[in-house]
Amino acid sequence: VSVSPPSFDLKTYWTALIKEIDHKLDEAIPVQYPQQIYEAMRYSVLAKGAKRAPPVMCVAACELFGGDRLAAFPTACALEMVHAASLIHDDLPCMDDDPSRRGLPSNHTKFGVDMAILAGDALFPLGFRHIVSHTSTDHVPETRLLQVVAEIARTVGSTGMAAGQFIDLEGGPNAVDFVQEKKFGELGQCSAACGGILAGASDDEIQRLRNYGRSVGVLYQVVDDILGENTGTEKKVDKDKKKGKSYVSVYGVEKAMEVAEDLRSQAKKELDRLEKYGDKVLPLYSFVDYAADRGFNLGDQLS
Amino acid sequence: NPEISSTHPTFNFKEYMKSKAKKVNKALDDAIPLQNPIKIHEAMRYSLLAGGKRVRPILCLAACELVGGDEAAAIPVACAIEMIHTMSLIHDDLPCMDNDDLRRGKPTNHKAFDEATAILAGDSLLSLSFELVAAETKNVSARRIIRAIAEMGSAVGSEGLVAGQIVDLCSEGKELSLDGLEYIHVHKTSKLLEAAVVCGAIMGGGDDIEIERLRKYARFIGLLFQVVDDILDVTKSSEELGKTAGKDLVTDKATYPKLMGLEKAKEFAGELVGKAMEELSCFDALRAAPLYHLADYIAYRQT
Repeated sequence: VSVSPPSFDLKTYWTALIKEIDHKLDEAIPVQYPQQIYEAMRYSVLAKGAKRAPPVMCVAACELFGGDRLAAFPTACALEMVHAASLIHDDLPCMDDDPSRRGLPSNHTKFGVDMAILAGDALFPLGFRHIVSHTSTDHVPETRLLQVVAEIARTVGSTGMAAGQFIDLEGGPNAVDFVQEKKFGELGQCSAACGGILAGASDDEIQRLRNYGRSVGVLYQVVDDILGENTGTEKKVDKDKKKGKSYVSVYGVEKAMEVAEDLRSQAKKELDRLEKYGDKVLPLYSFVDYAADRGFNLGDQLS
Repeated sequence: NPEISSTHPTFNFKEYMKSKAKKVNKALDDAIPLQNPIKIHEAMRYSLLAGGKRVRPILCLAACELVGGDEAAAIPVACAIEMIHTMSLIHDDLPCMDNDDLRRGKPTNHKAFDEATAILAGDSLLSLSFELVAAETKNVSARRIIRAIAEMGSAVGSEGLVAGQIVDLCSEGKELSLDGLEYIHVHKTSKLLEAAVVCGAIMGGGDDIEIERLRKYARFIGLLFQVVDDILDVTKSSEELGKTAGKDLVTDKATYPKLMGLEKAKEFAGELVGKAMEELSCFDALRAAPLYHLADYIAYRQT
């Protein structure tokens, strides 16, 4: 049985990273004319209590291969920008029609539907631009930046997260599996892979990171569903349940827990093949356990 | 136009446009195969392949060849610019924005599909545009491709298209000055035309002086494009334009004819085309023929 050694304190590592990433994001979106759009963009990207899981995974993957975290920050920020953009659009009345997110009014509730659409439209390209204009090419060769841009663009696009959202709305047989893979697995996959690409990992290693990130991304969501079912307090879960969109509502808690255990061991198996990096694998390793067990609280918004 | 035909009598503009548009259409068709989920890809193709004039991608290819590049080097970025243009039209047409039912003589994307699909199709075209440039540009140094991505990013986001759309939305029903009108057009139209030309020149290997001259050229024709659009809105019928004519008058929108009078607006268009052509005067006349003719075409087009 694999147990992550107690020597690694994920909470401290993660909390410190959140602080750094929040600071970088704040700098990345200064308010200028026309102010309304920057305020709408900042409202979602800088929402209090965001856990920054995709950026943290990206930075941890980069550091695993000896990459400097400074080299990973612009990409980490970009992941958060495109993530925020897709959440803003997913919440719209014509999509999931969610008036709130993380306990606050959704972007369109606060700024109007037109502004919310445009805030998303602005955040996608800002992410790509941020990578190419803020990553020091002393740290990362340009060809790797192109790979990262292509990776993120594919992930958010019509065969990735947008496909997940589309099927989420449309429904259909086995929709829940497809939706979880696309909406949550793809972003985890992309976050881990980007960290590896930036640090110059081999193709084989990047593939391991992909598999790892995909498993952790889905695991995270499945466990959210299970926790929401058990506490029964989250309104969102009731809504998902009605639409038959969560693992738990479709397969039941027991099966969902089995799936979670499978995903946990799959994710760790991928990391076992990277054992030559020694203790550097610990952040990614403990991340898996966190996704499964939620062993500590981060900030004030944790469910 | 006697001046143009006397400088390069052998250049056949009509043939040139036809052959370039054919290449662009083929590349756009290839860029979006019908894959799962089918409907979202159909929606992307519906608007992208609706038979626009392809002015932006052709400007891009022409600029690439003017500085001595091979057309193939600029094909991905030319397609990307057209995708971005299409995406902005899809989102601008939405009910919460300009609420248009008709575009290029066909139902708008959200009319042919639905709002959610239209938003996702737009988002997907936007990300695909960056993916295409980052992953499919061949025989161009990574440094140049990165530079082109930064140009695209600033043309499309909150410093470009989105800024223009925001100011446009926010000034409806208000008195708009000529400066305010120019701000909107520079951001909604000129910036993307500028990116088309500049990215073409970058991919073609142009030096900084060439790139900046072409940037100025593009700024003049960008503004020209909008002035002519405004003139056509008051002088042509919906049938001739393939979109709702006279809409600017009905919605009491600020336009050049409204602010300067029709005759002055026409004079202004003439000045702009002259200034654009001046920027081309330092290039070899034969090689610059396509860009001369494109400026002329934008000034004197009938739809």
